[in-house]
Amino acid sequence: MTRTITGVSAIALITVAGSAFAQDLIVPQGEGDFAWAALEEFAANYDFTGETLNVTGATTGDDAQRYRNLYAYFEQATGATVEYSGSESFEQDIVIASQAGGLPDVALFPQPGLAKDLAAQGALVPVAEGMTNFMVDNYAAGESWKQLATFPGADGNEDVFGLFFGTDVKSLVWYVPEQFEEAGYDIPETQEELMALSQQIVEDGGTPWCIGLGSGAATGWPATDWVEDMMLRTASLEDYDRWVSNDLPFNDPIVVNAIEQYGMYALTEGFADGGPEAAATTDFRDSPDGLFDLPPKCYMHKQASFIPIFFPEGVEAGTDVEFFYFPPFEANSDLGRPVLGSGGLASVTNDRPITTAFMEFLGTPIAHELMMTQGQFLSPHVDANLDIYTSDVQRALGEILTTATSFRFDGSDLMPGEIGTNAFWTGMVDYTTGADAQSVADAIQSRWNEIK
Amino acid sequence: MNPVFQGLITIGIGVGGIFLYFVASNALLDKVLFPAKGKNASRNINRANTVRPWLFLAPTIIALSLYLVYPVIGSFYRSLFNRSGDEFVAFSNYTTMFASSEFRTAFWNNVLWALVVPSVSTFLGLLIAQLTDKLRWGNIAKSLIFMPMAISFVGASLIWKFVYAIDPELGIINAIRVNMFGLDPMDVLQVAFWNNLFLMVILIWVQTGFAMVILSAALRGIPEETIEAAIIDGANPFQIFFKIQVPQITNTIIVVFTTTTILVLKVFDIVYAMTGGNFNTQILPSYMMQFMFRDDGRATAVAIVIMLIVTPVMIQNIRQARAEMR
Repeated sequence: MTRTITGVSAIALITVAGSAFAQDLIVPQGEGDFAWAALEEFAANYDFTGETLNVTGATTGDDAQRYRNLYAYFEQATGATVEYSGSESFEQDIVIASQAGGLPDVALFPQPGLAKDLAAQGALVPVAEGMTNFMVDNYAAGESWKQLATFPGADGNEDVFGLFFGTDVKSLVWYVPEQFEEAGYDIPETQEELMALSQQIVEDGGTPWCIGLGSGAATGWPATDWVEDMMLRTASLEDYDRWVSNDLPFNDPIVVNAIEQYGMYALTEGFADGGPEAAATTDFRDSPDGLFDLPPKCYMHKQASFIPIFFPEGVEAGTDVEFFYFPPFEANSDLGRPVLGSGGLASVTNDRPITTAFMEFLGTPIAHELMMTQGQFLSPHVDANLDIYTSDVQRALGEILTTATSFRFDGSDLMPGEIGTNAFWTGMVDYTTGADAQSVADAIQSRWNEIK
Repeated sequence: MNPVFQGLITIGIGVGGIFLYFVASNALLDKVLFPAKGKNASRNINRANTVRPWLFLAPTIIALSLYLVYPVIGSFYRSLFNRSGDEFVAFSNYTTMFASSEFRTAFWNNVLWALVVPSVSTFLGLLIAQLTDKLRWGNIAKSLIFMPMAISFVGASLIWKFVYAIDPELGIINAIRVNMFGLDPMDVLQVAFWNNLFLMVILIWVQTGFAMVILSAALRGIPEETIEAAIIDGANPFQIFFKIQVPQITNTIIVVFTTTTILVLKVFDIVYAMTGGNFNTQILPSYMMQFMFRDDGRATAVAIVIMLIVTPVMIQNIRQARAEMR
């Protein structure tokens, strides 16, 4: 009998210790221009006291902390505990979990392509009845967001498998305004001007670009963004969509041309800091550091809106560093000003009342605002207050997103896993280190043929 | 429930369960099935003793078949099916694989790994074991060389990433190139063919300590008289080493060599963490990772090939171990 009592009190102790870790809220409830009403309404509807919700995702470190800060509000509103675990190898882990068991309740996919694979295997649960049109009603360009989250399930029927939460804009070039002013360079408005500027910098004895493709086992992905941006600027949106679905073969001259357009920047002698060889292995997180050296190792860095997280400490986005839109070709002015972006997809992997409530929570404007106020989070949610963004840079990015006329999703994220997260990556590494564009494209296409 | 708590309970159930199994199964055998009394007492004792070894082996045999034999057969079966696993394709996964140039690169790289790493680490291990044997600070040297054994392969790879870094302020190779020879820094991991050797160095660095410890123990086990006799006969140190000492520890050398070979054939972490298989450094295990959970048919086909390569080495290893027991 004594033994049981000790056992029970040990468990009780552990539970008490667990709840003692509940985090403080980053913004006190009721303060500021947030949509607190949405949170109060949500809290009134749900009570999950004592339940635990497991969430996994690819974000780690400070970035993961931002998400934990958000979940604290869900915990407070419902009494539940949210356990978030982030992993650098999330893409592998979630697939292993789907086959071997141990799936979380909610998974935050950095790539919808992977979610599509898992949905087809029946590992994902479609959103609740009332949520299917949520993104259409609440997100800018909502119809295309919904399309991106609509896949066939295990039974072959199409369903909406989640909610996009957190978006990145990719068509950006980062630069240090002070350096540009000092050297007398202007912000290029066209690709032709951008190329001329790059040559000008070389003639002035500088190095125009910092390029870094290194990312561990995912090495090569930054170059896929270059190629996708070039596709949007040299081919029609229809061709882009056909390319992503492989109706336009990967080795088509249109695609090979886009790869070579990337090569114009990465491979031209003197354009990339350290040469293409260094570009192929420099870690993408370290690559932008060159902008801030004195004298600068490079003047420009093309990377998505999330990159300020990895800028050296003390660098203030908006004052020390700015971005300009990766411009279109003057020669192809009929293609407009396309924007390439990506987004994380929150999907339910375990059908419980609490997961449905959690998805609803992620859809509230207050959830988006609480992420926006921590920086590094862009939202297409039309009800989220733009004033919450912490800087003009973030606001400008948010506006690019909410006003984009032609917006296209990161193509490699939509391709099948073998292509988008493997063959395309390694192909770009091969191309950057000397292989020729046609043979790289042929190899990727033959890999694609194998899985058809 | 708290994971620590779960762990403790699991250990409790495991250890207690095994204990219970032996007590209960022996009791069943001795008291119920073949009781050592009555008119068949002596026959029953003999029977019980014939059955008893199987009693002790049963948990191992069951565990091995469940976790080793079944996966091998299951993998082979899976490799005969297509990507989604619902269509029988016979050996087409194998034919596509053998036709792929990346597979051939991975295969030959692996052969290179299997030749270079075990020989170099065994050779260095033996050399160090002999050289440090009589030194006063030999034990300190040995501990230092043994230390990398405690580092995980990914950890070791991260350390060597700094050694190979392009930035001459970080990477020692480029620091030497730039500061001593005035050459341009280069990424050594992109130098075709040689980059394979640079990756192998990491595993050699980790494994030499293992070879050294085992061989050092073996060298100490050699009877002193044989060496004394050789000295009296006027043999020089090289003759003593190669003609007296090495022949007496050949078996140990072979065991160390084959153990390292088996390890080499399953290490994928180093390539995965250092180059991701780019720049023609792919090896079979990391090649398999590309397909795993995406196209399990292809992945299991690679797994079967790796198994076929490892099997002869393993058989040799077991034979050697058995020969030594006799």
